[in-house]
Amino acid sequence: MKKILSGNLFFTLILIALLALVPYIAPPFYVYLTLTSLAYIPVVIGFNILFGYTGLLSFGHGLFLALGMYTTAFLMRNYTMENLEVLILASALSAFIVGLGVGYICVKYTRIYFALLTLAFGMVFYTLLIKFTPITGGDEGLRITFKPLLLGLDFRYLPHLDFLFQPYYYYVLGIVIILTVLAYIIVSSHFGLSLKAIKENSEKAEALGINIKRFRLYSFVISAIYTSIGGALLAHITSHVTPIFSYWTTSGEIVFMTLLGGFTNFFGPIIGVFVYTLLRDFIMSTIIYWRILFGAALLLIIIFVPGGISEGLIRIYKHFKGA
Amino acid sequence: MALLEPSTITILVLTGIFSSSIIFLISAGLQIVFGIQRILNLTVGSFYAIGAYVGITFINFFLKMGFSVVYGLLFLILAGLSLSFLGPTIERGVLNFVYKKEEAFQLLATFGLVLIFEDMIKLIWGSYPQISDFGILTYGEFRFLDTSFPVYYFLVIISAFLIAFLLEFFIKKTRQGKKMRSVADDIEMSEGLGVKVRNIYILSFTIGTVLGTLAGALIIPVTAAVLGMGIEAIVLAFAVVVIAGLGSMRGALLASLIVGLLQAFITFIFPELTTFVIYLIVIAVLLIKPTGLMGKEI
Amino acid sequence: MGLLEVLEVTKYYGDFKALDNVDLKINRDERISIIGPNGAGKTTLLNLISGLLKPTRGKIILEGKNITNMSPSERCKLGIVKSFQIPSYFPNLTTLDNLKVALISSLGKSKNFLKSYQQDEEINNLSERALEVFGLYERRNFLAKDLPHGDKKLLDVASAFALRPKLILLDEPTSGVSIKEKRDLMGTIMSALKEMEISSLILVEHDMDIVFNYSSRVVVLHNGKILDDSSPELVKANKEVASVMFGS
Repeated sequence: MKKILSGNLFFTLILIALLALVPYIAPPFYVYLTLTSLAYIPVVIGFNILFGYTGLLSFGHGLFLALGMYTTAFLMRNYTMENLEVLILASALSAFIVGLGVGYICVKYTRIYFALLTLAFGMVFYTLLIKFTPITGGDEGLRITFKPLLLGLDFRYLPHLDFLFQPYYYYVLGIVIILTVLAYIIVSSHFGLSLKAIKENSEKAEALGINIKRFRLYSFVISAIYTSIGGALLAHITSHVTPIFSYWTTSGEIVFMTLLGGFTNFFGPIIGVFVYTLLRDFIMSTIIYWRILFGAALLLIIIFVPGGISEGLIRIYKHFKGA
Repeated sequence: MALLEPSTITILVLTGIFSSSIIFLISAGLQIVFGIQRILNLTVGSFYAIGAYVGITFINFFLKMGFSVVYGLLFLILAGLSLSFLGPTIERGVLNFVYKKEEAFQLLATFGLVLIFEDMIKLIWGSYPQISDFGILTYGEFRFLDTSFPVYYFLVIISAFLIAFLLEFFIKKTRQGKKMRSVADDIEMSEGLGVKVRNIYILSFTIGTVLGTLAGALIIPVTAAVLGMGIEAIVLAFAVVVIAGLGSMRGALLASLIVGLLQAFITFIFPELTTFVIYLIVIAVLLIKPTGLMGKEI
Repeated sequence: MGLLEVLEVTKYYGDFKALDNVDLKINRDERISIIGPNGAGKTTLLNLISGLLKPTRGKIILEGKNITNMSPSERCKLGIVKSFQIPSYFPNLTTLDNLKVALISSLGKSKNFLKSYQQDEEINNLSERALEVFGLYERRNFLAKDLPHGDKKLLDVASAFALRPKLILLDEPTSGVSIKEKRDLMGTIMSALKEMEISSLILVEHDMDIVFNYSSRVVVLHNGKILDDSSPELVKANKEVASVMFGS
């Protein structure tokens, strides 16, 4: 374990320490943004297990984000379920079931057809959320009106923001660290290498005895579970879940964050989440035409640095090391 | 069902065919670019939106200049055609750089363009819906059974068929069209035979662009131009091309009819289920025949 | 008992009949070469055996088991492995990792989600030994796409061998390699076969010197049918074969 992380261990520890300090040193607004970013980390890690490691571009991952959020909101409202651990497990379970079903169909195809099919499923889920008002609240979505128990502890006496910025923040940080380490272990495992092989050359992988459809399905389900857990964490931050999270623009955002940070590097998408969340907010509050900037940024990344920020940093590092 | 009286059905069929014509133009724009460049060009939705906005600007300008409203259709077509310059600009300026990249990146590049255009429209025309002074009843009404339809519907339907026919003729019979088909079949061989692939790419992308802008310009007597209309259009056109089979022009014609009619009927019966049903069909088609109704083998 | 039986196999591509009622029985420890002019159906036959193609009619039996409808990966688990004519490898993985993918799969470890593959001593030892056998050890940390052409071919064959197949199918292992390098390449492959105790081989090859030097049996295909099936010496002496192969 130590050996695996040793290369990145130092930076990882510094990053975790910084993240742990954020609620004490940063203004509330930035604490809020950091917390939102943390919740998005499992989302992009999940997306990238499918895209970066298995070579399948999902343009419908908003489905699983929304699934986690709605599972959480639904259970809290209708069954007053209050244990966050239970809510997270329930979101993971619903993603497991839906991911298995949707994935079973989607992994029959690859490349553009896979992207189109996932997009279609995301859109179907979006319309279901809008239509089944009794369960989903329709266009309005669902509001979460009370705070969950964290490890059985009741923090309801705290004002909303104090709850979010203290106990909930550290809870999310803890979950995200666990999930990130677990994902790192998975992609460095025998299974992870086999996924990369499928991405690189699926015909060869099949000739070597790897059941490529089965493995793509495993990857799909793991990806769905991660994204859904991210949704479960996000739901308490927004306190309001709406169908927009399943719309294709949200799926597009997930893709964008991952590409921005860099899909070729395990930590790339995590960088992408922070940069995107902070930048979007900064840009959206200063200029109303933020889409132009994001569109242009997307084009520049694709054309010049397909590996995103992480690739850019590595290039700069190598440049200085070489010089 | 009591609601579906004969006159209602006639209305729904006709409005269905009208929207089919518009959807066909947009999806034909997707198909031609996919057929030649192998890129699913989401930008065609933006071209549709720009076509609508520019159409309104054009027609309001000409009407203010004192031109008779009778020339309205002509001005709209002119508006659509005048935007053809976007084709070479985008093709050379952006797509040219992503041809060698993975499919996923090509798709994302067009997604980036959609974002850019979305805000450009906002920048130029603002957030409020734009309405033209060109009324839908300008060309009068056509009475049939107990109902009446704007003649304009028929003009658009005829124009769409005419464009479909011209496209077919262009691709099958002309020199440029033959070159396009050879590039679609085998790029290297076409290059070997002296076809300038670069020019064919510019040509096909420009045709795709104009199909989108024309569709947008033609729709404006019927609806206002609003933000997000491009994204709505691409969602429908995407459904059409999947049902049709990527790259198939005739498939697009058939699938546009299916989607347009379905949209009209479902919107009438269960308004909120439209996208749902259309996308269920998309999924069903992908499952049963992933290459679409008329697509070639993957 | 034979290892593999191809029973009355016919394969159509549309209207074109690529293989016409072919019967072929392969025993253990045989090194069979399939020869024939272009379009005779050699690669089709190989692909039918490996499972990349399904026959229009007929059966394929491995050790008494009907495998006609099995996928390549299922056949691979049963012991039939193919190396590609155009070398097939994982371009952005290192040479070493390319081999590890094969070993992980053949040892049934690919569903190990939580164990680091780089710390699996068994995999490390086996992959390094295999690279040594093929003379690729020095370049173990190169990305596969950066290897010279001949090494890519060796890597492809090495990853096939790493699966320890009962029957290995080699589709023109020396195509695209200079004449001088051909001998070296074949020599390496043959010594690796011995080293890794793989005894049954089907080879598709154009170079007749290689065919007659390295095979224990030669099958001649012509227009989708078997024209001759016999020892190298007898095939060499067959005038009909000579006229089909060399047009003399």
